[in-house]
Amino acid sequence: MSAAHFLSRAGWRVTVYDSGVVASGATGSADGAVSVASKKPGPLMTLAVAAVRFYEHLAETGVLVDEFISRSTFMIASQSDELDVLESQSAQLEAAGVPVRLLKGQSLAETVGAAAPSALAAVEVQGEGHAVGYRVVERLRRLGGFTIRRHCRIVGLRQSGGSVSGVVTEQGVEPADAVLLAAGLGSMDFLAGSGLIRPRKGQLIVTDRAGRDTPRFPGPLMSCRYLVSKGSHPAGKLPESRSLGLVVDPLRTGQFLIGGSREDRDDKDTADADTVASLLRDAVALSPSLARLRVIRVFAGVRAATRDGMPIVGRVGGADNVWVATGFEGDGICLGPLMGHLCQQMICGRPADQDISALGADRFGLKLADAA
Amino acid sequence: MSDREVLVIGGGPAGVAAALEMARGGLKVTLCEQGPRLGGAIHRQPDDPSRRVRVPKAQRQRWQALAEALAASPVTVLCRHMFAGVEGSGAVLLEDRASGRIVTRHPAALVLALGGVERATPVPGWQLPGVVTAGGLQMMMKSTGRAPDGDVLLAGSGPLLVAVAAQLTALGKAPVAVLERSTSAVSLRALAGLIRAPAYLWEAAGYLLPLTKAGIRLQRGASVRSIVPAGDRLSVTIVDTIGLEQRLVVDRVALHDGLLPNGNGTTPAPNGPFTVLAGDCREVLGGVAAIADGRLAGLAVLARLGQAAPDLAGAAATLRRERRTQSALNTLFDYSGSDAAHLPDDTVICRCEGRTLGQLRGMLAAGDRVSAREIKLNGRFGMGACQGRFCAEWVAAFVASQRDGQPPQVAEIVGSRWPVKPVPVSAFVDLPPSSPSE
Ligand SMILES: Cc1cc2nc3c(=O)[nH]c(=O)nc-3n(C[C@H](O)[C@H](O)[C@H](O)COP(=O)(O)OP(=O)(O)OC[C@H]3O[C@@H](n4cnc5c(N)ncnc54)[C@H](O)[C@@H]3O)c2cc1C
Ligand SMILES: Cc1cc2nc3c(=O)[nH]c(=O)nc-3n(C[C@H](O)[C@H](O)[C@H](O)COP(=O)(O)OP(=O)(O)OC[C@H]3O[C@@H](n4cnc5c(N)ncnc54)[C@H](O)[C@@H]3O)c2cc1C
Repeated sequence: MSAAHFLSRAGWRVTVYDSGVVASGATGSADGAVSVASKKPGPLMTLAVAAVRFYEHLAETGVLVDEFISRSTFMIASQSDELDVLESQSAQLEAAGVPVRLLKGQSLAETVGAAAPSALAAVEVQGEGHAVGYRVVERLRRLGGFTIRRHCRIVGLRQSGGSVSGVVTEQGVEPADAVLLAAGLGSMDFLAGSGLIRPRKGQLIVTDRAGRDTPRFPGPLMSCRYLVSKGSHPAGKLPESRSLGLVVDPLRTGQFLIGGSREDRDDKDTADADTVASLLRDAVALSPSLARLRVIRVFAGVRAATRDGMPIVGRVGGADNVWVATGFEGDGICLGPLMGHLCQQMICGRPADQDISALGADRFGLKLADAA
Repeated sequence: MSDREVLVIGGGPAGVAAALEMARGGLKVTLCEQGPRLGGAIHRQPDDPSRRVRVPKAQRQRWQALAEALAASPVTVLCRHMFAGVEGSGAVLLEDRASGRIVTRHPAALVLALGGVERATPVPGWQLPGVVTAGGLQMMMKSTGRAPDGDVLLAGSGPLLVAVAAQLTALGKAPVAVLERSTSAVSLRALAGLIRAPAYLWEAAGYLLPLTKAGIRLQRGASVRSIVPAGDRLSVTIVDTIGLEQRLVVDRVALHDGLLPNGNGTTPAPNGPFTVLAGDCREVLGGVAAIADGRLAGLAVLARLGQAAPDLAGAAATLRRERRTQSALNTLFDYSGSDAAHLPDDTVICRCEGRTLGQLRGMLAAGDRVSAREIKLNGRFGMGACQGRFCAEWVAAFVASQRDGQPPQVAEIVGSRWPVKPVPVSAFVDLPPSSPSE
């Protein structure tokens, strides 16, 4: 939807095809951390920094006004073996130019003491934000300028010569001068090579609104375990079995979003009690006041995880007018608008504002599938 | 007796009848009810046995028979156990409200007899404190044996309005007025249907008599246009058939626009047990049908689990007869609610999240056909603590009325996720991984 927005502003006539409805993929089942805090050091962290700035820019220029909330993220170490992870991630963030503040003793007590009394240390990552994926999509839809075709699956691409001349839908072929594959997990159906993107399920919990007796949360609290399960850090001394990463996110509505799991499966319609109970146990251990709230909803989404943990954004081999943007795993809400903008620049043949060569499809030699 | 447990959820007539039928057929049955006592909506038992509201004799006897049979049966009854849904791996989640914990079960079959939900359609001001539903008021009276304080206005459509008016009157608190939206006089067809069902005539007669004695009139064709606060009371604008407005100041307004099956938690879960719906949560057909339907649900489970099952042709016939009666009865009423076209934009639609009709209209205004899922996510209709139980059906109908073609499904707005109702975070904290409750 971001790419559609920017392409339509650049003068293209754009149609978005979705086999379901908009935001029915990962975007509609995610938390909305627009955050650098948890990113893998390297190009991803650099791009995330640019992505947060881009959200700020879109909010200032009115495109995403009210949809992006600036705030700090708080990384919390509550066990001594998490202190190392906290320190090294904080150093990496600082090196990437992200303002961080180490909280210990008095400053820790004042900032997160009420929300997370057992924290040993914390790092406040400043200049981050929050945006709800489906709300961003809804804003772009309302701004309009392009056509949306819901319940219209793309089943193939019509190729002629070295180009794609149209998309094949269940209702027939529709002509196209350029194609961007941004179908999340579904993108690989059009590309040769298998096992490149795996589904990674995540389960999330929403509580009811906190009463006055709930302590103030300064921002989302991210347990340092999150970094471990996300694989952005070598596991070090921490036990590997932990595939739950805890983030307690105070929402604008006064509710809390508690997440999430990382599981190598794709049953996105089910949430299981064991996982939810484990997450809630960890959440209450971190923030005992949550025990007074009620769970009103649990849900799951499936992220598209690439083999090397980096998104795939760039031109696809085998045709001169096909691009891909997928594999955003747990970062696509944060990266989405910037990536949509960069895709527009690529498709228009302009130099991109950011260096995304590290995300190129050529690193896997990705080509259009013959059957596509 | 088979050692496989079957679980029945809902301690109303349908649930009790299903439990009895399965116990008779040799199954080990556990019956769970969220409330402190069995009885369900129609046979709700009082908190204090010496304070009960009067109910028609036939109705009382029906429950007595069920309760006695249950007491003599080997069915295990767990009150204050709320069915929270079927989770991803297929386990049934129960919230034990006494211990404050979630317990899991893996029954061989599940009968859901969750009853109906009361419908109330939006009018401006219905979100104000003091505005309740007629059924809610009735439940309160049945539990406490007392009428509410202050002046009560009953409005909407359906036989329940008359029943509640009679119960208020019997407790010495006659309603200020009873507004029935429907203008239809009793049609011959309806009458014929009613005559075939003596229980209905009996109950209706039992209700109407004290009302006429107390001088209370049913105002046909009249409805509530809006409600505004008036000090600590409510000022209600009423409109009659010819459009004349009248104002009434009361303490409580009880709305009612019929009953719907309670669909929350009834969507089949991917890995869940064999599940049968029974009673009002399958089809709203009233108390007599609920018993027959419960027996039939029990039969379906017995057959599925390979147990010998009795012939229940009689129950099937009862169900057919009650369905005819119910549809005849329904022709007398008008459950459509206020004409949405005349509702102002600031009318609250979702009372959990405070979402308005203007916001819904705004979402539909663009030429682009937004889906039910988008209406839910972005409009936040059906996203509140009630999981859309109270607004999803109205929202779906409104969306359908605004455009032609495929209407959105209520299920798309309600969703099929557990928990069926909010569950305390603390209840999960000491959930032992997948173990039974006892
Ligand atoms: C539990 C969870 C928590 C998350 N939390 C965060 C977070 O806090 N911050 C963050 O930045 N990211 C987060 N993410 C990640 C983020 O949600 C995703 O990276 C992002 O939504 C991916 O967007 P997308 O547009 O690439 O894919 P999707 O949103 O999955 O969209 C793909 C679309 O393509 C459609 N489609 C598929 N195949 C076809 C086809 N053949 N034809 C037509 N249409 C097709 C699908 O219907 C779908 O609508 C989270 C994800 C999950 C699951
Ligand atoms: C508010 C209301 C008032 C009514 N008043 C009358 C009346 O005055 N006269 C009349 O003839 N008919 C009345 N009816 C209709 C009548 O109650 C039904 O037709 C009949 O009782 C249906 O029986 P049932 O067993 O299907 O459901 P119910 O009698 O409604 O029983 C359902 C039971 O399931 C329980 N339950 C629901 N969800 C859960 C859960 N998640 N976990 C555990 N337990 C759960 C409920 O607490 C309830 O006890 C009323 C219905 C309603 C909803």
